[in-house]
Amino acid sequence: MNAPETVSHEQAAGLLPWLVNDSLVDKEKETVLEHAQSCVICRRDLDDLEQLRDSIMSASSLKLIPAADMRNVNARIDALIDRQNRGPLLIARLREAFESPWRIAFVAQSVLLVVLAGLLLWPRPRDAEYTTLTQSQYLPPGIYVRVVFSPELTQFELIELLGSLELTIVDGPSNRGVYTLGVAKRMSVEDRDKLIMDLQEDPKVLFAQPVNRGATQ
Amino acid sequence: MPNSIAGKGATEADELALLARVRRGDREAFCELYQRYQPRLYGYLRRQLSDPGTVEEVLDDVMLVVWKDARKFRGDAAVSSWIFGIAYRKAMTAMRTERRYQAPLDRSANADAVAAVSSQHDEWIPVALMHLSPDHRQVVELTYFSGFSYQEIAEIVGCPVNTVKTRMFHARRRLRVLLPALAGQAKEQDRERA
Repeated sequence: MNAPETVSHEQAAGLLPWLVNDSLVDKEKETVLEHAQSCVICRRDLDDLEQLRDSIMSASSLKLIPAADMRNVNARIDALIDRQNRGPLLIARLREAFESPWRIAFVAQSVLLVVLAGLLLWPRPRDAEYTTLTQSQYLPPGIYVRVVFSPELTQFELIELLGSLELTIVDGPSNRGVYTLGVAKRMSVEDRDKLIMDLQEDPKVLFAQPVNRGATQ
Repeated sequence: MPNSIAGKGATEADELALLARVRRGDREAFCELYQRYQPRLYGYLRRQLSDPGTVEEVLDDVMLVVWKDARKFRGDAAVSSWIFGIAYRKAMTAMRTERRYQAPLDRSANADAVAAVSSQHDEWIPVALMHLSPDHRQVVELTYFSGFSYQEIAEIVGCPVNTVKTRMFHARRRLRVLLPALAGQAKEQDRERA
């Protein structure tokens, strides 16, 4: 018979709780016991641990353990099985439905028809109003005209013209030379049209049009 | 407590067979496994959780996981370690929830328990265990109440074996201080009552 392997005090002391609960394998048990026989500290610890174990065992025996009641867990398992069975059933029904190629063709045709009908009947969004690239979307309410001046118009002449007609530059010139001009005073549609005509007659004005904002003041 | 290795091996083989049947959806085998583990699991969970209703709920949760995950069991650990591993994780979650909602209550309950402790040594143990950290308490519980080896505890708790030994070392050191203190306190109270 082989002599048991020796263990250090720390190793043996660390294993004492499991010597006491009788869960060490034979070889370990043998070596720890061997050490404990020659070690006063371990022998004392062993006594303490045995007392602790006995106390714990008797303390645990004081607790009443109710009889096993499996109703709840059984109900939960039934629900689980039911859920698991419902999934494959649905798949089986779908599979059954698509067994025949004629059925598949019929279903595909029906789906296609529904999609086409949907596309035809779907309300299309109204076309957006026509807007030019230079038209500002953020003009406050008022009367505006778009004007292209002759390149020969000097700055002085421009200021003079704008002053005489009580116009102010609101936007521009764009990269195509378009100015958006705002009318300083309130005016009727007729007055606005007259203003446009005056501008169009001016030889230094190449283009003049009202900005269509849908309403005039 | 585990008995002989041969006896333990026979139990393990028996439980492996039961689990294999559970994996195939055998309700009878599940019922047998439940009956076998219910007292051990109840005792283990009851010592961790204060509310008996929660204990029964968690126990059912544990056994439901056993039913659902039986096919995931690969046999790397003993059946008991696997089941107690599930119970350990469920218990830790439930303990965290209990602590969150009842932390002030529990502390006062502990204080009351210490105050009401009698000179019976057996009655100090649960009180002393309450003063250990959850990790340390688990190792003591699983060793002395449930009779697991340190390797099994490592599997249950999911940590290295050396960590189990270290936790046991610290738990013992703390108990060595706590138990005489509780004993002294109890004797003093007994004297006052007399």
